[in-house]
Amino acid sequence: MKKTTVLQVCMVFVVCSLQAVIGSPVDCPDQDTAGVSCIISLEKLLERAVQHAELIHHIAEESKLLFDEMLISFGVVNLHISEGTMCSPKTVSVPMSKTEIQQISDKWLLHSVLILVQFWINPLVDVQASLMNYQNAPSALVDRSKLMSTKITSLEQGILVLIRQILGEGGLVLEGPEDTSDHFVSSDTFETVRRDYSVIYCFRKDAHKIQTLLKLLKCRQIDKENCSLF
Amino acid sequence: MRNSGAVLILTFIAKLILQAAGVSPPGKPRLTSCRSPEKETFTCWWEPGGDGGLPTTYALYYHLENSETVYECPDYRTAGENSCYFNKNDTSLWVNYNITVVASNALGKNISDPVEVDVVYIVQPNTPENVTAVVVHDEQGPFVRVSWEKPRTADTRSGWITLIYQIRVKQEKDEKWEEYDAGMQKYYNVFSLHPDKECMVQVRCKPDHGFWSEWTQTTYVKMPNYIPRERSLWILITIFSIFIVLILTWTLNVKRNSMKLCLLPPVPGPKIKGFDKQLLKSGKTEEIFNTLVIQGFPPTTDYENLLVEYLEVYDNEKQELVLDGKELSEDFMKSKSSSDNDSGRGSCDSRTLLLEKCMDGREGSGSDQHQYSQHGETSWASTESSESQGAEPGYPESTDGRAKTWPVVFPQPHHHSPVGAVKPAYHSVPEILNQLSPHATPSNYHQLHHQDIPQQELWFSKSACRHSQSYNQFNLDVIDTPAPGVPPLPSLEYVEVQRVNPENMLLLRPLNREPERSDCTGEDYSKVKVVTSHNILLLQRDTSHQCVDDYSQADQCTTQQPPHPCKPAVHQWNSVMPQEGMRVMGNGYVDSTVLMPSF
Repeated sequence: MKKTTVLQVCMVFVVCSLQAVIGSPVDCPDQDTAGVSCIISLEKLLERAVQHAELIHHIAEESKLLFDEMLISFGVVNLHISEGTMCSPKTVSVPMSKTEIQQISDKWLLHSVLILVQFWINPLVDVQASLMNYQNAPSALVDRSKLMSTKITSLEQGILVLIRQILGEGGLVLEGPEDTSDHFVSSDTFETVRRDYSVIYCFRKDAHKIQTLLKLLKCRQIDKENCSLF
Repeated sequence: MRNSGAVLILTFIAKLILQAAGVSPPGKPRLTSCRSPEKETFTCWWEPGGDGGLPTTYALYYHLENSETVYECPDYRTAGENSCYFNKNDTSLWVNYNITVVASNALGKNISDPVEVDVVYIVQPNTPENVTAVVVHDEQGPFVRVSWEKPRTADTRSGWITLIYQIRVKQEKDEKWEEYDAGMQKYYNVFSLHPDKECMVQVRCKPDHGFWSEWTQTTYVKMPNYIPRERSLWILITIFSIFIVLILTWTLNVKRNSMKLCLLPPVPGPKIKGFDKQLLKSGKTEEIFNTLVIQGFPPTTDYENLLVEYLEVYDNEKQELVLDGKELSEDFMKSKSSSDNDSGRGSCDSRTLLLEKCMDGREGSGSDQHQYSQHGETSWASTESSESQGAEPGYPESTDGRAKTWPVVFPQPHHHSPVGAVKPAYHSVPEILNQLSPHATPSNYHQLHHQDIPQQELWFSKSACRHSQSYNQFNLDVIDTPAPGVPPLPSLEYVEVQRVNPENMLLLRPLNREPERSDCTGEDYSKVKVVTSHNILLLQRDTSHQCVDDYSQADQCTTQQPPHPCKPAVHQWNSVMPQEGMRVMGNGYVDSTVLMPSF
């Protein structure tokens, strides 16, 4: 009798451990509502975030080039975006140099990234809608704008998960940015084009910023020893 | 008013003087490029426009995109002349710099066009370092492994910069470089290099968004001298197979004819005797078929006459068998019913008829004729044609096993003219007998006796076929009184041709079984040697016995060749008799069953 009970216990133990082993590194869809049972490792999360950022940046770069070609085909040569202020009406200061970045903490890194990502969701949607109204907008440009808006949204979700995982539940101190950017509607075609161009132009920069920040964060979190920063 | 005018005039004059002197305000400088090697610092270079003859100073001013504050270049020397170096503290990323250069000299200054620069997008790393190329020997052949290190300044470890590398290779005396992308790895294996040649290698790198670095210094590596084993093996195999193919071809060529015979044997053309291909080509079917038809077939009415000439000798045994249960005399006396089985007896068509007639007809001639007839029956050669059964439709049924009392009819030797001179067949017998009688011993003559039936056996030519009609022996009560000249023969014996007289008559002589004989048997002509194409039986002369005198005549008639001075020993058949039909027995006897009209 004793032996049988021992065996049963052993079996139960084995089964449970198996379940536990299988359960832990399960790949979950990158969703906010992921339950407790589904846990993705930090490394994979960061890797995914970095890939997202790289892809977004790549698409943004191509979009800018396509837009330039389109402007040339339109005959608008002198659409020169010289206003530097256009690109950085940020409520929160974002680090501008490597030294600055080296000095901020992970927490601030994450928050910066989140701010940036959240800032650009709406403008990208607007640009996408606006591009549909163009007469001769190249389809590649339109497709890329769509892709950008979708990817930025998923990246936002990923960042939130990261914050929750790295900083815990108390990490989300900052609220989402207010929807300060009024939807720019203008009947003037020139102004519309200008605005669209500036959005794409500035987003390209910020995409690179996001990518860099996330890479740094990944290095810090995973390979603390080899990272030259800090 | 007058003063301002005077000042203007003076200024104008001064300028003219200055221009004549060759001095002028400086030309417009131009910013050529701004580069950042590691995305942390950057440098800008400009090009002076012309100094105007006077010492000119240059100053670079910039301001960031979101501020109006103008700064001057912090460092003019680090990067060299006409350059401005921005260190880490002064470098802001993701911000556009608005940079201008101002050239100024004693006469004036000049401002360049502004340039907007974002440091992130002007990254051009330094060249990779420590490029090494090593020859690695592999079982498939040696190759070159090139390895390098990242540029010192680039911070790829933290992920600040992501660099991708490119390598290019050139072997001596080649015109173009071969470029290979190495990705983010820091080594590369170069294959397919020619042996025993010097190899030059260069490497460069680029950030994911930026400019390519400069190529490194050339690294040299010497490829070893090796022979690709695989290729040499294939070369050997190819040569060998070519050699074999050549040999085979030459052999085939030499043996061409025999090969042709072997593979394509000549097909014998069809040959039909009497068939003329020319006739076929001419297309006259009538003629063609006519040639195929053999004249004389089916046998015509001559056949009847021919049949008359035949003698038939029957097998004694069979007759014995047959006679056991039958009454001979009655049989053949009353065989009128089977009268249609005449085998050519001419006037004596039926058996009985012949006997009666013969006997009746010969009564006058005496017992000789009796004898004769009897003798005739027994003594003569019969051309038993029962051999050729299939070819003789008209032949009387020799297959009939019944004892047929065919009277043996002596075949007419010489004048076997087509139509029936058959009568002399048996007429000649008595003549012969008469001739023979003085010579022959009485005992040798054949005689028919009642009681000698079993012993009587007469063969001149024996038919091998068992269908041979049995020799019939007459049971005649006639032979009681032997002819005067004819002694009674005790038994039937073999007869041999003694000689052939000029009248083409066979002179028969019974075989002498007794050792002593008064007369020499002489030559033995009973053996037929061969039948010539003219349907001549060539009898073989057997000179076993001594014969001299009377047979000198016969000597001449040796039948080694068709004897012209002699009469042919055998009468000629007037029918076409192919030689093939004759059958020569082993002992020399001829089975002349084919002495029928043949086809």
